[in-house]
Amino acid sequence: MIPYRAAAVLIALLTTRVVGAATESSPQLVAASAAHSVVKIYGAGGLRGLEAYQSGIIISPDGRIATAMSTVLDSDGIDCVLDDGRRFEATLLGVDPRRELAVLSIDATDLPAAVPAEGRVAAGTRVLAVSNMFGVAVGDERASVQRGVIASVVPLEARRGAADAPYTGTVYVLDFTTNNPGSPGGAIVDSRGRLLGMIGKELRSSAGGIWLNYALPVDELLVGCEALVAGRGVAAPTAAATPFDLALLGIVLVPDLLDRTPPFVETVLPGSAAARAGLVADDLLIAVGARAVGSHAAAERAVGAIPSGDPVRLSVIRTGTVVDCELGPRPAVVDGRAPQGAAP
Amino acid sequence: MNWPHGMLKLVVASMLSTVGGAATAGEPTLAEEAAFGAAVRQVAGAVVRIEPVAGAAVVGAAGEEAGVASGPSTGLVVDPAGLVFTTSFAVPETAREAVVVLPDGRRVAAKPLGRDVPRGIVLLKTDPIPAAPVIEPVPRGSLAPGQWTIAVGRGWSAAEPSVSVGILSAVERGWGLAVQTDAAVSPMNYGGPLVDIAGRVIGIVAPLPAEPAKMMRGTELYDAGIGFAVPLEDLLAVLPRLAAGESLASGILGISYRSRDAINGAPVIATVRQGSPAARAGLRPADRIVAVDGRPVRRIADVRHAVAPRHAGDVIDVEVERGRGDEMNRITMRPALAATLPPWRRAILGVVVANGDEDDNESARIDWVLPGGPADRAGIAAGCRVASVVPLDDASTGGEAVEAPSNAALVGALAGLEPGRKVRLGLRRGDEVTATDIVLDEMIRDVPDEVPPPPASGAPGGGGAGGGVDAVRVARLGGADVTVPPLAIIPAGRSPAPLLIWFGSPHGTVDDAEATAWKGAAAAAGVAVILPGSRDRREWSGDDIGGVVRAIESLHAQRPLDASRVAVAGRGPGGVFAWLVAERLGTACRGVAVLDAPLPRRFQIDDAEPGAAKWMLLGGSRDDDAARRLATDRDRLARAGHAVGTLPESGDGGPPAALLCRWAAMLGLL
Repeated sequence: MIPYRAAAVLIALLTTRVVGAATESSPQLVAASAAHSVVKIYGAGGLRGLEAYQSGIIISPDGRIATAMSTVLDSDGIDCVLDDGRRFEATLLGVDPRRELAVLSIDATDLPAAVPAEGRVAAGTRVLAVSNMFGVAVGDERASVQRGVIASVVPLEARRGAADAPYTGTVYVLDFTTNNPGSPGGAIVDSRGRLLGMIGKELRSSAGGIWLNYALPVDELLVGCEALVAGRGVAAPTAAATPFDLALLGIVLVPDLLDRTPPFVETVLPGSAAARAGLVADDLLIAVGARAVGSHAAAERAVGAIPSGDPVRLSVIRTGTVVDCELGPRPAVVDGRAPQGAAP
Repeated sequence: MNWPHGMLKLVVASMLSTVGGAATAGEPTLAEEAAFGAAVRQVAGAVVRIEPVAGAAVVGAAGEEAGVASGPSTGLVVDPAGLVFTTSFAVPETAREAVVVLPDGRRVAAKPLGRDVPRGIVLLKTDPIPAAPVIEPVPRGSLAPGQWTIAVGRGWSAAEPSVSVGILSAVERGWGLAVQTDAAVSPMNYGGPLVDIAGRVIGIVAPLPAEPAKMMRGTELYDAGIGFAVPLEDLLAVLPRLAAGESLASGILGISYRSRDAINGAPVIATVRQGSPAARAGLRPADRIVAVDGRPVRRIADVRHAVAPRHAGDVIDVEVERGRGDEMNRITMRPALAATLPPWRRAILGVVVANGDEDDNESARIDWVLPGGPADRAGIAAGCRVASVVPLDDASTGGEAVEAPSNAALVGALAGLEPGRKVRLGLRRGDEVTATDIVLDEMIRDVPDEVPPPPASGAPGGGGAGGGVDAVRVARLGGADVTVPPLAIIPAGRSPAPLLIWFGSPHGTVDDAEATAWKGAAAAAGVAVILPGSRDRREWSGDDIGGVVRAIESLHAQRPLDASRVAVAGRGPGGVFAWLVAERLGTACRGVAVLDAPLPRRFQIDDAEPGAAKWMLLGGSRDDDAARRLATDRDRLARAGHAVGTLPESGDGGPPAALLCRWAAMLGLL
């Protein structure tokens, strides 16, 4: 399936406008060209620490703007200010709650749309970030430009307050402070000014607890935008349809009483998949598959996320040594019970 | 993702071909980008992920609160035999084990071998990691601010190293423990290498546990463009000791300096702690340090730079100048630094000396003698000056005289001597010097009954300040932000007066009976008293501390105060507030007396230091619970080396004014 519209965007760009990208590759010129495609968005908010502004990226010359889904958009009047100072009232075309993405439309043509980069880039790639961070660009002033590199390309594991962030796909983690108030919806571009991603909302890492600086890669961004422009609604993420837990593998952990209870195995049910794989009481669970689990709750979450039929691999520490245990494919769950002996 | 690759390539290619030369402007950028990548590849095989083992990490507070990792972090394989450096953040003291995820995804268990405590670095032992490349350290001397630095980590992803790029911001931080970078560091890449553009390892990224951490935990600086790395060269120097299982603590010498300027002051020793490495090596008050390990030092900061990077157990060369004029010698001593000092025991002569003589060459004048104290027992009377102090029967100081030409020197001489020690005082009256032997006592705890207080300084010969209520005047101290300006009772005379601040009712008004009691007590002891109220006149809060400090300044502008005799006191909530004020004033506060006021939570008790120890009086115990808390508080304060006595309630229910004023006058007891 070829995203027809994205391709159309490119062709339109080629034919209607001299594009800044590639022709301007000093940092100054790249910054200038990238800033053309970033707009300032003003909407609802301004109370209790919620900003009433953010950033957006022009993705088509005829007025499509990608931005982050946020409370700023909960407004009857959403204003977009282009880098040339022109102000337009925007219409919300749709939101993608999974990617926390929204597409706006303004009534304009011949806009300097961003040029997407091809494919993904790796850690160490030099980038510029362009956004309306902290709302410091006032009136017709252009968005702010920062520089740094891609620190890592990893699945997003993040939370906002106590809730997990809905998007768990790949993001670019950045090595500079990009995700500030007002930054969501801003652009990350490479050394040639090509769009690599869109700055996401402020989130904390689930693993390290630190504030994240990250961007949604451009391929995810465009797929999401395509669907919204085409009018295809995106369903909000729902809980896993088939619940699965450690008990179904035959593992009982010590009771989860502390803030971060260590996932020690209390008992292994005889004849269970865990027993056959050699797990014993007092094993300390440290990883489910490749995912480290530092607490009882994290262990349950990780096991719950294993798709039916996927191999179940658990790592434990037993008397100072790491032991990897293969429990076979995850059995299907019927009426809340794993079929006896389903896993070899 | 089905992006039309072909089409894009075409687009980009056509653009590039049309502009030709313009793209060259970007080549330095891309060349650097390529160099970053090459540098990372150079070390990537030695960079591992460290995962906390829950069983250890959850002991105590929640991870984030306690400043220890709750998630993945990074380590550097320093020896393929299975030696891995990481931070104490990732593997805290409480951790018995950790999990190392190798670049190939394998998880192996690791045990902490040894720690460099001041640098916050741990050496782990795990199975051999033969695939790890040999890492090349950058010589510390070749580092220069501004050069590229790249922090490499595996906290984000075990499979692919993370990259953050910056420059070297400083080559010396935390008294030489670390270098500074503006590359983004976070718990995710703590423990990983900070490499130069050639992929050589500058150091291990770490939250610096040194001084900035007092204001802000090192881990809170992660988004501030401030990162630290412990130079690998320094760690390799102690690798054999760490591998042998040693835990290396900061090295303490056990001296303080005369100068209050801890940076530019001259390194002239004021006190040498009893039983400290400095005392055992023979360092003495009045010695001027001129070189450490052969490096000349001129300022206190130079000594700190030389000593801070060293560990307990290290032997350092300390060269001093001793004596004056023709008698001056240069002596080199070799103290072995210690991890801790034995608790300081305050020893006293039982005298109060005149304060206010800032002339260094004037020896301390005894103004008052504690009845029944060591000086009194030896027949010493007020009015003479202490010309010298000679510790007797002591090998460590060689029995040589410590000349005591000033108050500070006398304090310094006593600081190194423990209770029970016999000293020979050279006492001068007029031109005549006599020697008197005296055995030092332990510092007294309770305020002696029926003792005439020491006179205000400048009234030699003792006999009390005399004077009745007429000898004081009452004033309201200025202060724009207070509803009721604090009431002050100011003794007559111009000599530096002891100061007592009593936190009674937050309302700030004083009834006639109480005022009379304070005036009588202040006059009898020659003590200045401030009786403040709170800003809102209902309760004491942290906002009131600034007002108290301004009241002291305002009073000091009217009447000289004796900095060595400043005390705070209060009852109930006022007593709790007195603790807070004492904490704010730090060593400037030499006495705290409270009734029914337990130590506030989180109260920081500084260990008693010679010349700045506190005398505390605790009282009140309405019920068993309060009595238990009181006992706990006494114990805590006493263990920190302070003198802790009992504050009795006054019979009439008012503040124990007379006793507090006598106590304040005695605070400078030597």
